[in-house]
Amino acid sequence: MDKIKFYEQLAKILDIEEVKGDDVLKDFEAWDSLAVLSVLAMADSTYGASIKADEIRSVVTAAELANLVETKSKK
Amino acid sequence: MKCIFKNKRISAVISVVPKEEYRFDDEYPLVKLTADKAKRFKKMMSLDRHRIAPPDVCSSDLCVYGLQRLLSEGTLKKEDIGALVFVSQTPDYFMPPTSNVIHGRLGLGHDVVCLDINQGCTGFLLGLMQAFMLLEISALPKVVLLNGDTCSKQMSQCNRVSYPLTGDAGSVTVIERCEAENPIYMDVKNDGSRHQAIMIPAGAYRNPSTVETLKLHEVEEGIMINDEHIHMDGAAIFNFTMGDVPPQVEDILAFSGDTRDSINHFLFHQPNPFILKQMADKMKISQAKLPNNIVSIIGNCSSVTIPMNMTINCGEQLQRESQRVCFSAFGVGLAWIAAVMTVGPLDVCKVVDYEKA
Repeated sequence: MDKIKFYEQLAKILDIEEVKGDDVLKDFEAWDSLAVLSVLAMADSTYGASIKADEIRSVVTAAELANLVETKSKK
Repeated sequence: MKCIFKNKRISAVISVVPKEEYRFDDEYPLVKLTADKAKRFKKMMSLDRHRIAPPDVCSSDLCVYGLQRLLSEGTLKKEDIGALVFVSQTPDYFMPPTSNVIHGRLGLGHDVVCLDINQGCTGFLLGLMQAFMLLEISALPKVVLLNGDTCSKQMSQCNRVSYPLTGDAGSVTVIERCEAENPIYMDVKNDGSRHQAIMIPAGAYRNPSTVETLKLHEVEEGIMINDEHIHMDGAAIFNFTMGDVPPQVEDILAFSGDTRDSINHFLFHQPNPFILKQMADKMKISQAKLPNNIVSIIGNCSSVTIPMNMTINCGEQLQRESQRVCFSAFGVGLAWIAAVMTVGPLDVCKVVDYEKA
């Protein structure tokens, strides 16, 4: 999985310039239930990764989220 | 569970919307969205406007209005009504059943079955299934399926995500026997272990209404709800719609011997445009065959989204000719139902504005 591309997609969802691996998701102003939905959709359509609701709630940083998507990716 | 019904058909569909229309651009300051967030949300959900019933208009009023239109326009005769099936999550009272109240308002005779079903998103297809089963009683002429949902009354107005997506509506569908075999293919699935994903936790008998259950609490910024409002686990619902629904649609197409090409219209429940588009893409169904506009112009009206979809998007065509239709509905329960059938030409297939008697 291309993590740089993933961070770019995440930045787009959060409507900001850039996301770094150690950024804490909850600290983003736009990190809310809609952002979570957008991330689930992006992970599913771009990476074939089906992420469960409680799995995404348990990740803290952007890097952890990227790892989760990579582990679940079927593409 | 898969099943086939024969020698039955839908003969008329009328959907009813309240006249009161509210635009997202006017409402977002009320749900305390900043202009920036509102713009993002509007784009993501293709939001524009929705219909909300005034406080004194119930689901049953919308249904009765539709039914009276069918009667006064000569599409349906009172004496042909053998059963009233009312599917809703917003009844008039806890008791008696709303179908009985409607029976009384219409002044129907005594030889009529009245049945209330508590279902939401799958309520149109579950109601159809019930109607087909009732038509097995040969003494019963026609079944009238009433779907009514005024979800805005169960939704917190301080819920910046769900309130703008919600709409109120009713519909009346007439189901009858026909000489043609017209096989109708259905598949019904349920998973009650996930019933908490969409629920109103309090206000009935498990958790009766108290001062506490009416207290607003913050779920996240901009989402204030109480325990008598609809609670939704968006991420869990996303997993459900993307995980369970597409395989069922594939299954029903195989069961009925159809393909994406042989189906003219995929008329699906519409929870919101974002999730439906994601589903359509995943199933590789072209957007031209799968309308996705109801939430943007009416709002998610629960069990009424499918009849609304039929009347708004295919109304004239279904009055004129027959079409091969694949239906799919999914939501509260959790429940998911798919069906394939030939629909039309219908006596009536239209949407009307509610007018107070």
